[in-house]
Amino acid sequence: MAKKLTKVASGIPGFDEISHGGVPKGRTTLASGTSGSGKTVFSAQFLYKGVKEYGENGVFVTFEETPVDIIKNTNSFGWDIGKLIKENKWAFVDASPDEADNLEVGTYDLGAFLARIEYAITKVKAKRVVIDSASALFTHFQDPGIIRRELYRLTYRLKQLKVTCIMTAERPVEDGQISRYGVEEFVSDNVILLHNRLTEQGERERTIEILKFRGSSHDSQEAALIVGDPGVSLYPRPKPKLTGKGFSEKISTGIKGLDKLFHGGVYKNSTTLITGASGCGKTVTTLHFIMEGAKQRENSLLIEFEESPGQLYRNAASFGWDLKKHVDDGTVQLVCHYPEDLKAEQYLKIIQDLVIANKIKRLVLDSLSALQRIYDERKFRQFVIGLNAFLKMHDVTSYLTNTTSQLLGITAITETHLSTATDNIIILKYVELGGQMRRLLSVLKQRGSMHDKELTEFEVSSEGVQTIGPFKGIENLMSGSARRIQVSFGDEEQQEQAERDFIGEAVAGRI
Amino acid sequence: MAAKCILKLYVTGQTPNSQKAIKNLKKVLAMELKGAYTLEVIDVLKNPQLAEEDKILATPTLTKVLPPPVRKIIGDLSSIDKVLLGLDLTVEKEMAKTV
Repeated sequence: MAKKLTKVASGIPGFDEISHGGVPKGRTTLASGTSGSGKTVFSAQFLYKGVKEYGENGVFVTFEETPVDIIKNTNSFGWDIGKLIKENKWAFVDASPDEADNLEVGTYDLGAFLARIEYAITKVKAKRVVIDSASALFTHFQDPGIIRRELYRLTYRLKQLKVTCIMTAERPVEDGQISRYGVEEFVSDNVILLHNRLTEQGERERTIEILKFRGSSHDSQEAALIVGDPGVSLYPRPKPKLTGKGFSEKISTGIKGLDKLFHGGVYKNSTTLITGASGCGKTVTTLHFIMEGAKQRENSLLIEFEESPGQLYRNAASFGWDLKKHVDDGTVQLVCHYPEDLKAEQYLKIIQDLVIANKIKRLVLDSLSALQRIYDERKFRQFVIGLNAFLKMHDVTSYLTNTTSQLLGITAITETHLSTATDNIIILKYVELGGQMRRLLSVLKQRGSMHDKELTEFEVSSEGVQTIGPFKGIENLMSGSARRIQVSFGDEEQQEQAERDFIGEAVAGRI
Repeated sequence: MAAKCILKLYVTGQTPNSQKAIKNLKKVLAMELKGAYTLEVIDVLKNPQLAEEDKILATPTLTKVLPPPVRKIIGDLSSIDKVLLGLDLTVEKEMAKTV
């Protein structure tokens, strides 16, 4: 087996996960990215956390921003670099532009630059060094040949000094060469790429990707990079693994009639999609599920994108449930957000942290359609698949809601990417019958088990959802304009086909 | 006659470039400034903090501290005319010669 490269903790949440342990120790790692991709703050955090959390002092070599600017700009993260300088734990090598003109007459090297870095390293006994950015050297000096040679000499010297270094480099465009001047070719066996792209939704999206770590493993997927408070965090993409334990035990939905349709409730750790128009009973159905959890002493997590806590409490109270009490005593974790508040990866992280910290067994996300509205298709699919994989791994039974725009009837659809991710589908809808709006509930799909395929009528009373019984002898219910028929439901095959079509439509959120 | 000139030359130990720069500079000074200068030669390996203060990256680097403007000339100073131009100390006849 090849000798394993040791790594040092980066101090950047999520990075050690995708890098399988951190930044290669005693080496130089190139962090290349387009402008605005977060290179400076990423590398500054590596240095700052190195000092604060891992007792490794640092040297920051800056070419673009002045030390004063860096100290000022990172103040907003609550960092006090000035204090670290006073404590002799942090040193700057200031190579930011100065007034004087540079004239080149004859040949030269970067002896002074190297001497300054070495001096700073010795002075603070640094273990970490950041050079931001190597590309700037090429703009300072006219002879790229000399700069290449000197950068090579620098990385060699840093290796001898046994410091772990992040060197940034400028990338002219996304998806072009790795870095301007091909710095990566002579500097480093380890390359990280920082991306800054415009999404289809017109939002800036920063991501990070490890291109190579010579002699060491790492993830190859991109992770979202978010600059916020305090500092930079990465949100690695979920790694869907089909590690769910498989279905065996069933749990109650809290609605008797629904449990019956499911032949005894939904499977533990299954995912149920509840789809229906606004106001047709989705929220109350999810509340049943959560209150049943509370009864069984199973902790729940409710992620709410559509209603405020106050609205929810009031809503629950109208059915005689004291949701607030459960939130207060911790049985129910409630997260209310505008969907736009955070990025998909951040929501996923919040969910993961809460599920693990609170031993969550039931989860409701209301609604998935709110997220679908703001994410592009790829991101949305990743979110759903990642969420599902995580929930299955942790034996969480979940309800995801999907709000459809149409009150009655069915519209055509194409995308069906949710169908593979969900185990069960419940449809709630209004039907017009005999001059009345009636409520219909149907279980469209239950993976791994038989279920009743009847279209069931229900009402929402002060007790919550009450099923009444099947709509028998009526056809065209799903179209929204039902009419009575003489014969009972069509033959099996036809019904199967209708069901398949319907699943496609339902999951696309158009029913 | 030019005003008194203060110069610093940053070098790295005994490297060939450094030696050459010292030699070339002395030639220029002897020819053009005739003693109306002070020159400090700084070895960055011995005094890296001075290089930090003056923000020197390359060696050899010649800086003209006085008279203003501050100028930096990088390299082994192999062209006397360019050095004079760079120092901004050239008298008219030198200008005429280079043009």
